[in-house]
Amino acid sequence: MTFPRTSPPAAPLPRPEPGTALYVHLPFCATKCHYCDFFSVPAEGQDLEGMVESILKEAAQRAPRAPKTLFLGGGTPSLLPANLLQRLLDGLQELTGWRESVEEASAECNPESLDSDKAKALLDLGIPRLSVGVQALDDEVLELFGRVHKGQDGLRALEAARDAGVAQLSADMIYAWPGQTLKRWEDDLGAVLELTTQHLSAYNLTYEEDTRFKRWLDQGRLSKAPEDLELALFEVARELCGAAGLAPYEVSNYSLSGHECKHNINYWQNGTYLGLGPGAVSKVGPVRAGNPRGIASYLKWIDTCGHATQWRDEPDESTRLAEGWWLGLRLAEGLDPAAVRTAAHWQGDPAQDPALPVARELVDLGLLETSGQEAHERFRLTPKGRPVADAIAVQFLRQLGGNQDPKPTPEGPLE
Amino acid sequence: MNTGQIRNFAIVAHIDHGKSTLADRMLEQSGAVKKRDMKAQLLDDMDLERERGITIKAHAVTIPHKKDGVDFLLNMIDTPGHVDFNYEVEKSMQACEGAILLVDASQGVEAQTVANAYLAIEADLEVIPVLNKTDLAHARPDEVAEEIENSLGIDATDALRVSAKSGEGVTEVLDSIIDRIPPPTGDSNAPLQALIFDAVYNEYRGVIVYLRVMEGTLNRRDKVLMMGSGKVYEAVEIGTFRPKMTPCEALGPGEVGYFISNIKTLGDLRIGDTLTLQGKPAQGMLPGYAEPKHMVFADFYPTNPGEFEEMREALETLLLSDSSFSYEPVTSDALGFGFRCGFLGLLHMEIIQERLEREHDLDMIQTAPSVTYKIKRKSGEEEWVLSPGALPNPDQYEEILEPIVRVSMLIPAEYVGVMMTIATEHRGVYVRQDYLSTTRVQLVFDIPLAEIMYDFYDKLKSATRGYGTMNYDLQGYFADDLVKLLILVNAKEVDALSSIVHKSRADIRGRTVIKKLRKEIPRHLFEVRLQAAVGSRILARESIAPLRKDVTAKCYGGDISRKRKLLEKQKAGKRKMRQVGNVDIPQKAFLSVLGSDDK
Ligand SMILES: Nc1nc2c(ncn2[C@@H]2O[C@H](COP(=O)(O)OP(=O)(O)O)[C@@H](O)[C@H]2O)c(=O)[nH]1
Ligand code: SF4
Ligand SMILES: [Mg+2]
Repeated sequence: MTFPRTSPPAAPLPRPEPGTALYVHLPFCATKCHYCDFFSVPAEGQDLEGMVESILKEAAQRAPRAPKTLFLGGGTPSLLPANLLQRLLDGLQELTGWRESVEEASAECNPESLDSDKAKALLDLGIPRLSVGVQALDDEVLELFGRVHKGQDGLRALEAARDAGVAQLSADMIYAWPGQTLKRWEDDLGAVLELTTQHLSAYNLTYEEDTRFKRWLDQGRLSKAPEDLELALFEVARELCGAAGLAPYEVSNYSLSGHECKHNINYWQNGTYLGLGPGAVSKVGPVRAGNPRGIASYLKWIDTCGHATQWRDEPDESTRLAEGWWLGLRLAEGLDPAAVRTAAHWQGDPAQDPALPVARELVDLGLLETSGQEAHERFRLTPKGRPVADAIAVQFLRQLGGNQDPKPTPEGPLE
Repeated sequence: MNTGQIRNFAIVAHIDHGKSTLADRMLEQSGAVKKRDMKAQLLDDMDLERERGITIKAHAVTIPHKKDGVDFLLNMIDTPGHVDFNYEVEKSMQACEGAILLVDASQGVEAQTVANAYLAIEADLEVIPVLNKTDLAHARPDEVAEEIENSLGIDATDALRVSAKSGEGVTEVLDSIIDRIPPPTGDSNAPLQALIFDAVYNEYRGVIVYLRVMEGTLNRRDKVLMMGSGKVYEAVEIGTFRPKMTPCEALGPGEVGYFISNIKTLGDLRIGDTLTLQGKPAQGMLPGYAEPKHMVFADFYPTNPGEFEEMREALETLLLSDSSFSYEPVTSDALGFGFRCGFLGLLHMEIIQERLEREHDLDMIQTAPSVTYKIKRKSGEEEWVLSPGALPNPDQYEEILEPIVRVSMLIPAEYVGVMMTIATEHRGVYVRQDYLSTTRVQLVFDIPLAEIMYDFYDKLKSATRGYGTMNYDLQGYFADDLVKLLILVNAKEVDALSSIVHKSRADIRGRTVIKKLRKEIPRHLFEVRLQAAVGSRILARESIAPLRKDVTAKCYGGDISRKRKLLEKQKAGKRKMRQVGNVDIPQKAFLSVLGSDDK
């Protein structure tokens, strides 16, 4: 048993320069979904107001001025009552002036806590983009997922947001759940696409460590969708989104032109960002650092020190490059090796870029393709490479990451 | 001490017949160990030994025993009971005048009983048959006595009947050791001749040498000379085992004890060497023992090629405490730098491998164990081939010779037919069969060692419902129609996966191996093609379809470090794998070349 320390174990990253992307993690949800490995806890009995105050205190020390994007994630930000959302967003405004600087401001919402009032409140507070966790439309599956809402609630929430005037609406969907058929997926996607005309994220269900789903999978109570079906579900999502005018700009993300999520694109371009709240991660320069995935230590450390930096991750040069390729290749536009080197703070001779031989090997296998001239050559996934993007990421990490063992991620004290 | 009051004996028995238990009971009755100090099987002290319930190292202990008012010291040498460790048994025998032949009265005579008893008889020891476990309801001492007579020609009508478990009859065993085993002879004033019959490495004390004084006297602080190796040491400490090491000033003729000097590694020591005084050397050496015979070889490669040196150090350290395996550097086209290790048998190999991983935290790839072959060059010269991968092209040699062992199986009579079939299927050649009693038969076959290495013993066990046992001895190297079975991965030969097989089996073997590899090798981003071939003739092919879908991981919230670690874990899952070309081959795949063929 570890006892919460009185002060955070790591030094905070320096305050990033003005314009840096700002992320705020609100770690409360109605219940904990069975597949979820984000840091979130059931809201019941939690001090939401105290959390908002702590986040503002952390922001005072760490938040960049004039962020270009703001993203309220979680957890379930929509679960906060309007007055607390206002306290948070006004407080951040005082500290950063985000309302004047942002090109995009989003909040994640879940059907059970998104009605037209909440949507209006968010719009009024300066958040025009809502991303709704619809996930599935089948009541039984939602129950299996451990979610509190029904299928119809997802559609109703989208409708309410749209009717409240949300013009940047996104839906999150999960596919390849146990028992899903192609037909079901087509029907569900079709229904959702009728209501979200701007943006859609479709994620393959993953069985993450330390989740109930993983345990059930290991126990044989759940079974993974067959590979062929996963592939078909993936392709169908591309087709249906395409037919609805949403182009795939990332392996799992589709949007109308101009509605791509700028905040997330920054992650995929391996950019700089600052995260506030428990479990939130920041990247400044080549260094990433994170807050504890625990409420008590977060609150305590913010209270004593104004920051809660629990760990730092300073991957070596070539691992940083590998990360850059892994993330950048997810984008439909692909990547420019020079841009990857810059984002990775890679100092070496470009001719010696160790990612290039790996990439060329993948080109030979028909998994990557190149475009443009020698000097401005870009790489991107081919249709064959797209559905195996994670395996390709492992190739880069493996061949560039040397033999170093992954350092264990320090976890916060259990609560 | 007067040699008339000393007896030196070994206990030879088949595994599990109760040797360790009997030893414990003897120690307890003699008062050498207080009952509350007894751990079950006091003499087996390595973790691994306890876990596996087998005695690996011979241990010596001195048991005081009073008979008719006279104090005696009985030196007992505990010996291993597994066929792999036969050579240790041989060593121990040389230090004794007699042996207790311990037979489980319910199991009866088994293969190791016979093998070890013959070792004792050959060493000219007085053999005292003892029937153990007579407390068991299904004990059949009369029949077993008959089996002893028929199999070994030893009169067992008056064999002692004991229960090592309860202690019943154990005093009688001690008494008969005194009555029947001749006391050692030897002149305490003669030049020193002591036999080194074992040695162990202790982390704190260094090498502890087990010795038996044959002639003369060894005094503490004597400068001693190892007559075989020519090395000189000082006897810093000498003593006896009671059962703890108990220092003393002198060891005289017939006594069994230890000496400690500044010997750094077991490698510096030759078991079987004769120890004498530097100042007053003996005329000649005692008859020594043969070097341990390495029956099985396998290559160990570090999973991470950068850990070659660590591996060398680990092997060196291990050799300190087990001088009975060998290693030498090898290179493989597929696996890079590693070590070819020789073992007494498969069990010995497993023990070494486990110790390397457990005690030295090494991740390694191990190739399938194989026997050593010889080739006869056109010139008539014979040459060793230490691994199948090292076999030259067929035009380079006349024939391949393989080791043949004489396998003696002791089985219930009703299973003779089925064991004959199994032995024949393993290219066995019938030698003879003897009835030990109306129900037990000794069946003897000459079989290629390669054929019995893997699962022959398991087959014997299952075919005889657990009642059969076996033992084997090397007969020599003989030619047969052998070919090298090549395995190609994406058209590239992987030397570490090749094997030498009988020509008539090559097809089926090839198909089986390829099928297994298909199961063991994970899917890649590209198709993996597997082929088995002899020369340029392809015998079997399979392919592993490429991955088609592996995407997924949601990644936003910027938690990229964690995600990377998850991906790296997939990579770490590949720790027990080696890349050959660009194909990941897991450890288990390297063992696929072993095993039974599909029917
Ligand atoms: N019933 C019974 N069991 C015994 C007797 N002697 C040994 N055993 C059991 O037989 C097993 C093997 O004994 P062990 O001394 O390890 O045999 P070893 O392999 O010859 O050293 C153990 O489970 C003992 O408890 C005996 O006299 N009677
Ligand atoms: S609502 Fe989202 S963050 Fe909350 S538990 Fe479910 S999946 Fe996780
Ligand atoms: Mg034992």
